[in-house]
Amino acid sequence: MTPLFALLFEKLDERLQLRTPGREVANKVFPHNWSFLLGEVALVSLVVLVLTGLFLTMFYQPTTDPVTYTGSAEAFSGRRLPGAFASVVQLSHDVTGGLLFRRIHRAAAHLFVATVVLHLLRVLLTGAFRRPREVNYHIGLVLLVLALALGFTGYSLPYDSLAGTGIRIAYSELLSVPLIGPNLAFGIFGGQFPAGDVIPRFFVLHILVLPGLLIGGLAVHLALVTRQRHTQFPRPSIDGHRWVLGKPLWPSQFVESTTLMLWVSGALALSAVLVPWADITLKGPYVASEVGNSAQPEWFLFWVEGALRLFPALELDLPGVTIAGTFVAGAVLPGLIIAALVGYPFLERRVYGLSGEWHVLQNPMDIPLRAGCLVGFFSFLLLLSAAATNDVLSRLWGIPIESLTWGLRVTVVVVPLALAAAAVAVSRKRLRRRGAHVPATEG
Amino acid sequence: MSTEDDPGEDLRVVSQRIPAETEANDTVVVGAALVAGLGGVVFGVGWLAGWSLGVIGTGAGVGLLALGVALRRYVVERFPDVEAVEPRPEADRFEQPRIADVPTVPRRRLLGRLISGAAGVMGLGFLTPVVSLGPSPGPALTRTSWADGVRLVTSNGQPVRPEDIAAGGVSTVWPADNVGDEIAAALLLRPAVDPAAPTNLDWVVDGNLLAYSKVCTHAGCPVALFRESDEALFCPCHQSTFDVTAGARPTFGPAARSLPQLPLGVDDEGWLVARGDFPEPVGPPVG
Repeated sequence: MTPLFALLFEKLDERLQLRTPGREVANKVFPHNWSFLLGEVALVSLVVLVLTGLFLTMFYQPTTDPVTYTGSAEAFSGRRLPGAFASVVQLSHDVTGGLLFRRIHRAAAHLFVATVVLHLLRVLLTGAFRRPREVNYHIGLVLLVLALALGFTGYSLPYDSLAGTGIRIAYSELLSVPLIGPNLAFGIFGGQFPAGDVIPRFFVLHILVLPGLLIGGLAVHLALVTRQRHTQFPRPSIDGHRWVLGKPLWPSQFVESTTLMLWVSGALALSAVLVPWADITLKGPYVASEVGNSAQPEWFLFWVEGALRLFPALELDLPGVTIAGTFVAGAVLPGLIIAALVGYPFLERRVYGLSGEWHVLQNPMDIPLRAGCLVGFFSFLLLLSAAATNDVLSRLWGIPIESLTWGLRVTVVVVPLALAAAAVAVSRKRLRRRGAHVPATEG
Repeated sequence: MSTEDDPGEDLRVVSQRIPAETEANDTVVVGAALVAGLGGVVFGVGWLAGWSLGVIGTGAGVGLLALGVALRRYVVERFPDVEAVEPRPEADRFEQPRIADVPTVPRRRLLGRLISGAAGVMGLGFLTPVVSLGPSPGPALTRTSWADGVRLVTSNGQPVRPEDIAAGGVSTVWPADNVGDEIAAALLLRPAVDPAAPTNLDWVVDGNLLAYSKVCTHAGCPVALFRESDEALFCPCHQSTFDVTAGARPTFGPAARSLPQLPLGVDDEGWLVARGDFPEPVGPPVG
C-alpha cells in the first residue's frame, strides 16, 4: 500500500471501522469454474450498457412527431421522419463515435441477455437454486424479466419499421387481455397506437424505471450471494456442505474479474468495428400500415413470436368478454413458462422429499425429474423460437408455409414431451446401473 | 472455529504456489501496457480528429484487451496463487433477545386490524392515479374515420376511380383527409375471380372491385401482401391468410375473424367513396 492510500485508509477506518468488514470481504472465497463467469460477463455487459447508454441518451429525441431531416445521411435528406428515428440517424451519421457507441450498446445488449439466460441454465442444471438459495433464484428470475423488458423497449426506441411492427403487436396483445384490455393498452400507450405517447413512455421505462429496478435487484442478488456464499462443484478434498474452497477475493478473484471486465468490453468494442450490429434499423422509419417480409423480433423474444404464429385460429366469445388466441399465446403461455421456472424448486423438493440445505452442485443426470423437465422445457422454447422463423424456413426449404406451420404445431408439442421422457428414462437407467438413488439430504 | 472479532481466522489456506518471476513475463507486461496506452491515445486523438469508426473502435478494443493482458501477467507472476477454504455460515450461531419479546402493555387485536385495514384502503386509494395514464378508449376501438360519402384516396392523397384498378390490381387507400390513420387503412382490390358470398355484394363495384380493412384481425399488422395465385390476402407478421373472394374469411394462420369489408360506392363525379364505416370493429380482438 502506498503511504498516501494507507493514511487515507487509516483516517477512514478510525471513523467508519472498516478493517474488520473489509478483511471479511477481501477474504471471501470464490470457487473456480468457467460457468461461474457467465453471471460476471452479464455484469460487465451491464456496465458497458449503462456507460454507452448514457452517451446515447444525450442525443436521442423521444418523440414520434415528424421533423424534416437535414443531416448528412443522403438516403433521408430532406425527408419528413419521426423525431425519434431522425435523431438516431443524426446520432449515427453526424456525431463522432455515435454509431460506434450504438453498435457497442446493441452488442452488449445481446451479450447481456444471452449470458443472463445461460447463467439461469447453469443454475437450473446444477441445482444451485435449491434451499437456501430459492429466494435469490426468484430474484434472478425477476432480473431476467426486466432484462427482456429492457431489450424490447430498447429496440423499439429507434422507431424504425421493425420497431413499429413490434410495438404494434405488443399493443394488440395488451388489447386482447380480457375485461381490462382496452384500458390497459390505452394506459400504457397513452392512447391508441400509433397516435399515443408510446415512444416517450418507452424512453422513460428504458432509461430510468427498468434500469433502476434492474440495478437495485442486482444489488440484492449479489448481496445474497455474498451472504450465503457460493455453491460449488464436488471436490474430493473437502466437505462442500460445510466449507467453500476457492480463491480469495483479494487479490486472485479481483484480478480475474478485472481482466474479464477489460477483455469483455474490449471484445465488444472490436465486435462493433467488425459487425454492423445497429445499422439495420437505419433502413427506414416506421410508416403507418406498412410492414416488410421476414419481420422478426430480437432473438430473445422469438419464443413468444413463435407461439403467436403457431397458435391455431381459436377464439372464445363469451358474453361481455373475448378470449382471443393472441391472449392465450402471447400472455397466458409466457405466464405459464415463467410460473414453471418459479415453481420448479418446490416441485423437486416435494417429489424427492428433500430436506435441509444444499450447497454442492450436481450432475443433472443424477436427478431424473430435473433432467426430464429441463430437456422438455428448453426444447419447447427452442422449437417455439424456430417457429418464429417459419416464413424464412419455408422459403429456404421450399416447403409451403401451411405444411411447415402444421408440422411445427405438432412438433412443438410432441418432441419436447418425447425428449423429456427419454431424458428421465436415461437418467433413471444410469442411476440404477450405478446402484445410486436421489439423496434426500446433503449434509 | 470462528471468533467474532477476527473473521480473518475463518480463512484457511490449503495450497499456495509462489510464482517464479521471469524476464520474459516482464517483457510481456511492458509490451501489453504500451499497447494499452497507445490504444487510449488512438481513441482520444481519433475522437477529437473525427477519425473513422474502425480506427476509434479498434483503439478502444485493442487497448482494453492489452490492459487486461498486462494486469493478468503482472499478477500471475508476482502474487502467490492461493487456494483457501472458508466455513459456510451456520444458522443460529448466536441468539439475541428479540425486541418483540420485551413485555409490553396488553395489546388489542381489533385496533391492530383497524390500522392494517386503514393502511390497505389508503394504499388502494393511492393507486388511482394510474387511471390518468391513458384516455378512456370510448368509441376509438369500434369506429374509424370512414363515413358515408368519404372519398378513398391513395397514400399520396389522390382520389381513385374504379378504372384506376386493373384486374389483379391492389392499392392501399385511406379516408380523404385522414391519410396515415392506421386503424382506417383499407385495401382496394380487383380479384380475377368474382367475389361471392359471404362477401357483401351490395358493397362491390363493377361486380369485382371491393375493399377490406388492411389491419389484421390477429395482431393488428398490416395485411400487406396480395397473392394472386389463390386470391388471398396474406399477413407477413404471423401468416394469417384471407380469401378475398369469400368476404376475406380466414383460411389459414392464427387469425379467427374475417377482415371487415368497407361499403364501397361511386359518387356523382365518378370517384370511389365509402358508403359508411366498416360494419364491425377493425383490427385485433379486444378482450
